[in-house]
Amino acid sequence: MVPLENYLVLSAIMFSLGVYGVLTRRNAVLILMSVELMLNAVSLNFVAFASYLDPSKIIGAVFAVFVITVAAAEVGLALAIIIRLYRNRSTANVDEVATLKW
Amino acid sequence: MATEVLWWIFAIITVAATAGTVFSKSVIHSAIFLIGSLAGVGVMYVFLVVDFLALVQFLIYGGAVTVLILLALMVTRADPTGRPEDTDGPQKPFGVVVGGAIMAILIGVAVSTSWPNDVSDKAHGIPIDTISQKLFIDFGPPFVIASALLLVALIGAIILARHEEGE
Repeated sequence: MVPLENYLVLSAIMFSLGVYGVLTRRNAVLILMSVELMLNAVSLNFVAFASYLDPSKIIGAVFAVFVITVAAAEVGLALAIIIRLYRNRSTANVDEVATLKW
Repeated sequence: MATEVLWWIFAIITVAATAGTVFSKSVIHSAIFLIGSLAGVGVMYVFLVVDFLALVQFLIYGGAVTVLILLALMVTRADPTGRPEDTDGPQKPFGVVVGGAIMAILIGVAVSTSWPNDVSDKAHGIPIDTISQKLFIDFGPPFVIASALLLVALIGAIILARHEEGE
């Protein structure tokens, strides 16, 4: 059978690739996609722990449901903000949107 | 044995799709790779025998979220000719350092820790009725608050993205 560590390593790889994407990308939609990757890695970790170590209480799986809910709300709002930004500034590049930067 | 071989195949596909999402030069290719990566996580839920979450993952992430992201990409494309734009900033070396450090730490901790109760080395699986009982009985108030959050996010997104008079 597949041991628990395999899932943990897979989710660690996904999470760090997401961190790299958030730090490196310039397009706001691509940054949002990297954030989605990180959220998915975390949910996978939760569900793996719930399924292997805690099958009677399954708090991890319930938490994954809430993570998916909040992520869906976040995607909807963030894309609305990005579309608004594009309409006002004609760009989705986060390096060019620096009005609030001192 | 067959399960393990299949697991490794899908794990490699998932990691490859994730890397494609992050490293791809074209934004549309990135979004297509993202579908593969999210579907790969859904397949991992199937391997963990958590049917309900696998279903939710395929429906919400594989369907709704990726369609929304593709739509936003097409609406906000700076260059309609499809020329590959400069997607990565000058922070690339720092991103490599931070991402590599986090990956090393997480993998080291995950491998070196001896997890308790992990005697059978086997996913127990979580049936859908157990999840629903937990969700509706023990986590009732957070569930209601989550529905209110979704409603507020929906209304907020409509107000933000609406085309106003005189614009």
